[in-house]
Order: sequence, then C-alpha cells, then structure tokens
Amino acid sequence: MHGSAVVAGVGESTYFKRGQSPQSEFQLACTAIRKAVEDAGLKLQDVDGFVSYTDRNEPVRLSAALGTGDLNFTAQSFGGGGNGAAAAVTIADAAVTAGYANCVVVYRAIAQGEFERYGQAPSTRSSRGAASFTHPYGMMTAAQICAMQTMRYMQKHGVSQDSLAEVALASNAHAQRNPRALRYGTPLTREQYHASRWIAEPFHLYDCCPENDGAAAIVLTTPERGADLQRTPVAIVAGAHGLEHLGGVGAFNEPGFPTAHYRQVERTLWSRAGVRPKDIKVAQFYENFTGPVLIAIAEMGFCEPEELNDFVANGGLQWPGGRLPINTSGGNLGEGYIHGFENVVEAIRQLRGDSTCQVDDAELCLSVSGPSFGPGSAVLFGRA
Amino acid sequence: MATLPVDWATPEVTPTNREWFTSGTLAVQRCTSCSTLQHPPEEVCPRCGHTEFDHRVLAPIGTVYSYTIAHYPAHPDLADSVPYAVVLVSLDEAPEVRVVGNMPGIDPADLSIGLRVEPYWEERTAEDGSAVLLPQWRPAAVPR
Repeated sequence: MHGSAVVAGVGESTYFKRGQSPQSEFQLACTAIRKAVEDAGLKLQDVDGFVSYTDRNEPVRLSAALGTGDLNFTAQSFGGGGNGAAAAVTIADAAVTAGYANCVVVYRAIAQGEFERYGQAPSTRSSRGAASFTHPYGMMTAAQICAMQTMRYMQKHGVSQDSLAEVALASNAHAQRNPRALRYGTPLTREQYHASRWIAEPFHLYDCCPENDGAAAIVLTTPERGADLQRTPVAIVAGAHGLEHLGGVGAFNEPGFPTAHYRQVERTLWSRAGVRPKDIKVAQFYENFTGPVLIAIAEMGFCEPEELNDFVANGGLQWPGGRLPINTSGGNLGEGYIHGFENVVEAIRQLRGDSTCQVDDAELCLSVSGPSFGPGSAVLFGRA
Repeated sequence: MATLPVDWATPEVTPTNREWFTSGTLAVQRCTSCSTLQHPPEEVCPRCGHTEFDHRVLAPIGTVYSYTIAHYPAHPDLADSVPYAVVLVSLDEAPEVRVVGNMPGIDPADLSIGLRVEPYWEERTAEDGSAVLLPQWRPAAVPR
C-alpha cells in the first residue's frame, strides 16, 4: 500500500441540468465542500489544503468564503479534462502522506450554464498550435475527438455498436435506483439507444455525457486522525497517473492511437496495489462517451480488446449480476456530469455500504478518470 | 457530405507550420540532425532534441485510418454544414504520419477505413489576409 491518507468525508451539491442551478459555480463548490467536511465530522477550520483539476474556483476564494484554517497546500493536475479526477486524489494523498498538509479537500465544481459548454466549440476564426491541424476541419469537440478514436478501435478489434450501448444502458439502469440522479425516473431502452440521433459517428446521443451543473468534494486526512472521526474512513490503496511516451501528441499522431491513455496507469496501479483486475468487483469508469469506457476497461486489464463484446454483453456492466458493475450511481451519463468527481464520491459510497446499487461485501472499488485525454489517472479505494 | 463555410477556422501561420500550410504539398517537418519526421510540426525534435528543421515532401497518396461523420453542429456557424466527414489519413510514404481533413464529396456509404485517398488543396484566408492552403481529401483516382 503506497498511499497512506484516508478519505474521511464526502459531499456534493444538488446536481442540475445545465443552466438550472440557482447557485453559481463557486457557491456550488462551497456547498459540496461544507457537506464533505461536515460528513467527516471535521470543522472547516481544520481544512489546510485544496486540490482540484481544471477548476476555476481558486483556493484563495474558497478559503476565504469557507473560513478554513491557514492553507499549507494547494495544487491542480495537468491535462485537459476529466482525466485528472483521480490524479487530484493522488496529489492530495501525496501531500497528506508526506506531511505537507493534514486535512486536504479534493473538489470539482462545474456549471456549464454559467461558463462554457463542453459540447460546444469556442469561436474559432483562427486556430493555433495542434488545433490548427483539427479545428479548420470541424474537429473540435471531445465528442468528435473520441469518435475518431473509437471508430478505429471498433474496426481494429471488432467492437460492436451494441457494446457501446451496454455502457449507456448500465449507467442509466443504475440511475433509476438513485434519487439524486438527473436521469432518475427516465429509463433508457436498447431500442431508444439505437434510434437516437447521431452526434458524431459512431456516437449516438446516448453515447454522450450531458452538460450539467454541480459540485462534489471529498476530504482526505491521516489514518490516525481519520480513526477518531465520525465516519469509518476509506483507504486509498493505490493511485496512478501517467502517460506512455509520446501519448497524446497532436492531431491523432501518437504511436499508440487509438488509446484511452491507460496503458501506463494500468502497469503502475496494479503494481502498487498488489491486486489484479480479477480482484475488483465494482468500478467507476468516467464516461465522457461510451467508446472510451470500453477502451479503458481493456487497457486497465479487465479483458483483451477482442473480448470486450463478450465482457459487456447482456448487462455485463450492470448491478446486480453483471461481471463488473460500473458507474453504480449512474455516473456521468445518468447521475450527473460533474466532470467525473461524482464517480469518485460513488466509489467511497460503495466501500461505506451506502450505494443505491450496493455490491455485496465490496472491499475494493476502482475509480478510473476521463479516458482519451492524457495523462490518464485512476485510484483504487479500499475498506480501511 | 457538406462543406464547411469558407470563413471557418483558419490556422494561424507560424514559422513552425508555414511550410505545411502554404506550400500546397504534404511537406512534413524533418529534423536536420536526425531526419526524424514530426507531425504536427513542433518546436523540438522528440528524438534528439534538435531545434532546426527542414521538410520532406511526401507523395500525395494515403489510406483512411479512421473517420467520423459529424452530425451535430458544435458551433452555430456550422449549422448549415452538417453532416460533414472528418477523415484521418495515413500517408503511404510515412504511415506513422496521420493527417486530418474533410471529404466533402464522399457518399457516407462509400466512406470506410482503408479507403485510398489523395489530397487537393483548399484555400482559406487567414485573419491577417494571407492565403492558407489546407489539404483536403477525395477518393484516389487510381486505387491501388
């Protein structure tokens, strides 16, 4: 076990459809963090660190608004998007483990009604850098980029459209049991999936995450302090964030294309954790789009690419009974797109026995962050 | 498949990408020290760290390596341009070099991975008024 920090508390705001939050993004962040600290049985004055990823709500503002103690540590991971969710957890773990801080909040707040929409391209009259080789061709959004990766992957490994559907159907089925989920009460059928309009082939509408507003947070502290708090702490068994050499270079020219950027993370994570994919009974896989989830499942070592169709078929990703239930709160697709941090919170819930799709005797829960954009990151949580 | 608006995004021409976007050829950046090709062009050679480059003009023929057909207009200016095809082309003379482009004339039923394609050059005007030549793609006249 490499990390030695524990998760002492989790919190989240209400999740909203884009533009429907009565609170600003910054207010949502404060709400989630307050709840996480309260859940832990800590005081806001105990908080001495903040870590996030691609977040615009600066610790300077958060610390002032929340009334934290003096800050000892602040950091953010690199990378373009949801790939950093687990990376942020590992950075906080490193800070607590090394003694730089004692009580670190990891958070993500996103209000696509207030700020830019991830499904929309920015105004691109002129494009620069690697985008000069893609934007002029109308290749701009994450959906389009992941579609290009997934199309090749499907052709190369014989992955079917129905396997993409399995990811969407699993998230939606789990959302039907979670009253917090935005898709609660709105079931999805396989027929509806296949009949939904194309966004960017091979992605239908239901292959794509929605644009939502909300915030989620967790609090990390030392095992010694965690042992005295009101909730049973959850251990960080191992974390990894990394990238193969030349991974992610511009305009689809990386040697490993098509990849979800999890090959290096897979090697590092399992080596550190001392367990293997066969030991994992439940996992959270960030769904920006369904295709990259399948690539990440294979790259994390759960099966060979050619075995994906069989691995996910007939509800293979669904609770209960599936061989690997994923996104048990509904995930990005069903619960709410909080840039994948709702998936981190759900991993903690599984190990506390609090999930609305609770896997019996879950001892470990893997949380894999946004695939397709490097560096990738993943964290394995366990019962302390 | 539709074409994108003529005033859609245009690359900002820099010393690093000038040859690719103005020569009307597939002029791929080459390190003058170790001859490594790099696309898209960058400021440092990934193999030897050298910072001076010339170019190797590759033959105008390749194969569709992947593609997508964009149906949702991700920007209001593209509302009348969907659906449009974006292809990723692997070049015969250096298959590790992959080039993004459109195939405005293609019937979706004819577009597939492995299709043999050749480039033509679309002219757009950059913000500073200079001409930019973008490689675009069509089925190769003489399939191999």
